[in-house]
Amino acid sequence: MKTAAFVLASFLICVTANSAEQSAVASIPKLAEMLLAKDQNGKPIITPEEQAYYNGLNDRLKELLDQAVQKETISRPEHLSILLGLQLRPQKMELLLQNNCVLCHSDSANQTPDTLFVINPEPGTSSRMNLKQLVDDVHFQRGLSCAGCHGGDPTAELGHAHVKEWPEKDRDKNRGWVVQFCARCHSDPGLMHQFNAALPTDQLAKFKDSPHGKTLMEKHDDRAPSCVSCHGVHGIRPAKDPQSKVYARNVPETCGACHANQATMAGFKRTDGSPLPTTQLAEYRNSVHGKALLGRGDLGAPACNTCHGNHAASPPGIAQVSKSCNLCHSANAGLFDGSKHKQAFDEHNWPECGQCHGNHAIAKTHDSMLLTGSGQLCGDCHRQYAKEHPECIQTADYFRQTITQMDEARNRFVAESEKLAARGLDIEPINNQLTELTDALKKSRTYIHSFTRTSFEQIAAPGEEAVKKTDALVNQAQQEYKYRQLGLAASIAIIGLLMLTVYLKLRQLEK
Amino acid sequence: MPIGTHWMGWYYLGGITMFFFVVQVITGVLLLMYFQPGEATAYESIRFLTTKVPFGWLIRSMHSWSAHLMIISLTLHMFSTMMLKAYRPPREMTWVSGYLLFLLTLGFGFSGYLLPWNKLAYFATTVGTNIVASVPILGHWLLQVLRGGQDVTINTLYRFFAAHVVILPLAFVGLIGLHLLLIQRQGMAPPVGATAAPRGMKFFPSFALRDLLLWLGGLMLLLTLTVFLPYGPGIPGMDWELGEKANPMAPAYPGIKPEWYFLWEYQLLKEFPPHLFGLEGPQMCLLMIGLLFGIWAIIPWLDRRAYRNQYSQTFSDFGWAAILFLIFLTLAGWDIGSSGATSELASTHNVARVCALWTLAAGVAITIVRYFLYEHRWFVLTGAALLHVALHGLAGLSYLVAGTISLAAAAFIGATMRLLRSRSSGNQT
Repeated sequence: MKTAAFVLASFLICVTANSAEQSAVASIPKLAEMLLAKDQNGKPIITPEEQAYYNGLNDRLKELLDQAVQKETISRPEHLSILLGLQLRPQKMELLLQNNCVLCHSDSANQTPDTLFVINPEPGTSSRMNLKQLVDDVHFQRGLSCAGCHGGDPTAELGHAHVKEWPEKDRDKNRGWVVQFCARCHSDPGLMHQFNAALPTDQLAKFKDSPHGKTLMEKHDDRAPSCVSCHGVHGIRPAKDPQSKVYARNVPETCGACHANQATMAGFKRTDGSPLPTTQLAEYRNSVHGKALLGRGDLGAPACNTCHGNHAASPPGIAQVSKSCNLCHSANAGLFDGSKHKQAFDEHNWPECGQCHGNHAIAKTHDSMLLTGSGQLCGDCHRQYAKEHPECIQTADYFRQTITQMDEARNRFVAESEKLAARGLDIEPINNQLTELTDALKKSRTYIHSFTRTSFEQIAAPGEEAVKKTDALVNQAQQEYKYRQLGLAASIAIIGLLMLTVYLKLRQLEK
Repeated sequence: MPIGTHWMGWYYLGGITMFFFVVQVITGVLLLMYFQPGEATAYESIRFLTTKVPFGWLIRSMHSWSAHLMIISLTLHMFSTMMLKAYRPPREMTWVSGYLLFLLTLGFGFSGYLLPWNKLAYFATTVGTNIVASVPILGHWLLQVLRGGQDVTINTLYRFFAAHVVILPLAFVGLIGLHLLLIQRQGMAPPVGATAAPRGMKFFPSFALRDLLLWLGGLMLLLTLTVFLPYGPGIPGMDWELGEKANPMAPAYPGIKPEWYFLWEYQLLKEFPPHLFGLEGPQMCLLMIGLLFGIWAIIPWLDRRAYRNQYSQTFSDFGWAAILFLIFLTLAGWDIGSSGATSELASTHNVARVCALWTLAAGVAITIVRYFLYEHRWFVLTGAALLHVALHGLAGLSYLVAGTISLAAAAFIGATMRLLRSRSSGNQT
């Protein structure tokens, strides 16, 4: 009896729930019609994925969709398909459905190609009108919708009224106004604090002082970048977002968009009057830094802005080059600052680190940089500028020999250690010494930048000691292996003798 | 000791297997003196033993090498017994006890593998024990029993250790006692058809001294392998370098393979689709493996000709077909032929093709030897095994479809041949 009552109750609940669902659909017949619409070939316009997405929406979003359909801001199933196809999270969908500007500007029936937001812009067309990027825009997500910049009322059915700060015409010809426009909010600490307290508000001040800012705002040269050149227009993302144009791995391409373009850079000059090159991006890509950042994805490696700055981007002066390098290579820079080279480089007005290592094309350092022959880095410079100090050449030779010896020994021991490990010998003590040696080798390479024999000797000494110890350990392990082979030979001889005895005994017995 | 028409060498395989077992016991006891089961001690104690204890490396390497050599000699022993029909009455129980010893040896291999608690062993055991979960109905419970919990943890090591050094050795010693007792009582099996051995060899001293000679040779081989290849020959599934300590939190890495003697089961599991006949693929596969092991156990009762002391070519053919079946799956489990493939699919096809070619080559060689040397005339099952690999590896059919076609073809040809034979014998009468 109880079971029958339970079954009946369950049935009634199911029927009630089902009819409630049906009534929800029935209350929005226009929307339901659109959801079931078919194209000329009889194929449903709303795909099963879009239909499933719609079914998963909460009541609030379904109501907003219904309202948009009633008001005809969504008037066609094709338009509905585009919006559902975005598969947005509920919060984003709510923002989108409350924004009549986007709803209207995403319907191809109402817009020209210039004013239509599309999901997949054709290659070569402006990426400004990318609907997917727009809904991911950091401003859009924080509630700053179209009207925040363009003016008008996003809840009104139709309304276009540009804000006062926008030039009435020729907005695309002189874009200095863009910077001032963004700065309305971004230079207001009180306002920005509401969104991100850590975000700086000095961008405008820095930009105005930068070569970019001066070119754009004083010389009114539109080849110089404004905010949107680097950050984008409708798809602005935080700098930590990997899809942001200013994310560390994307910065070289963003800067290179202008700096690697000969047409854009034509006429720009360095302080010495020479033309500004356009090879930086190509050089950087092949440099040790470029390979680390772009190849391995090592975010610790510098991008353009690490040395040049962001909003205040400028070429570092001779005096500032080492300061940029110092940010990461502090040990080398500290040693250099205390060396005799510092004074000599300053006298010649040479860019410290950059003089030997280069700038955008910095290659992986190699011990051969210490060679002193003709056509070599140390040798050429010293023969020309430090003839009165022949001992420097000897010091460089000493550096190179010591390091080369340690490096060669290390490589030899590593190979030998692998061989011994495969033979089943204990290589832990060898590996411990190899760690010491590797450490000393790294430090020695750093201490080259002291350019002082005594400092270098102190650091290299543990490495040379490690070479001796490792050599002894490797020899010991090799002896151990010989001992094993000897033991095996003796065992085989004894077992062989036993086998011979057994065999002879067998023959004797069977005779 | 009967001296028959066949090669005497087959009689020594049981002895050499026992020799390797004795080596296992001795080296195992020595390892036990240093091994400390525990999360913080298992790996460390083995590391200490192999690097710091004098001759510790020798003991561990001998233990590992003799384990593999024992499985090789035991497999050869089992197949030679099968081919020579030594299981025929009254030696059915000798076959069954030997078969159980074989299963226990596989258990030794599986349980011992985890004990060093290194990365490779940990993940291989995780993959290996996962298979148990596919046993219908009892799978999850069995997995918990085997692992001592949901996952492979140090609790798994404790129970594997108990199984490896107490439970399995006790069972093994009991069974080996029974096996030897039966051999001692019933003597070595004479060649098929012989009512009494025309000639004989005394067990003591003639056979025993020959056995001793082989054992000494085995010891020599073992020592040589231990010194020159202390961590095994470097083949996946036959490699016991300690490497890194197991870390249950670390992600599993690709290419984990079980020991070589479990490779055929591992590969067979891969050949099954996710679902088949309403059951999960692994469940169907386990049922098939169970069926094969079951058939193998009761061969003495299935082979009716051998029961009458007559030579049965069908069962010899069955044995050779089983060998070809194992060869293909083991080679495929080793990914032979996968090098140079640009995609996973291409690699799978390449492996199937290359392994099929190797199996076909082995099958042809075996058939020629059987035809000319042993004058066998029944090749239906080996033919089916070769057709199976050819259809799968060369024609590109799925493993199961190719297998079904081959079995159907074998059944049809077998039935037709029997029919023709019975008709011709009827006509003669």
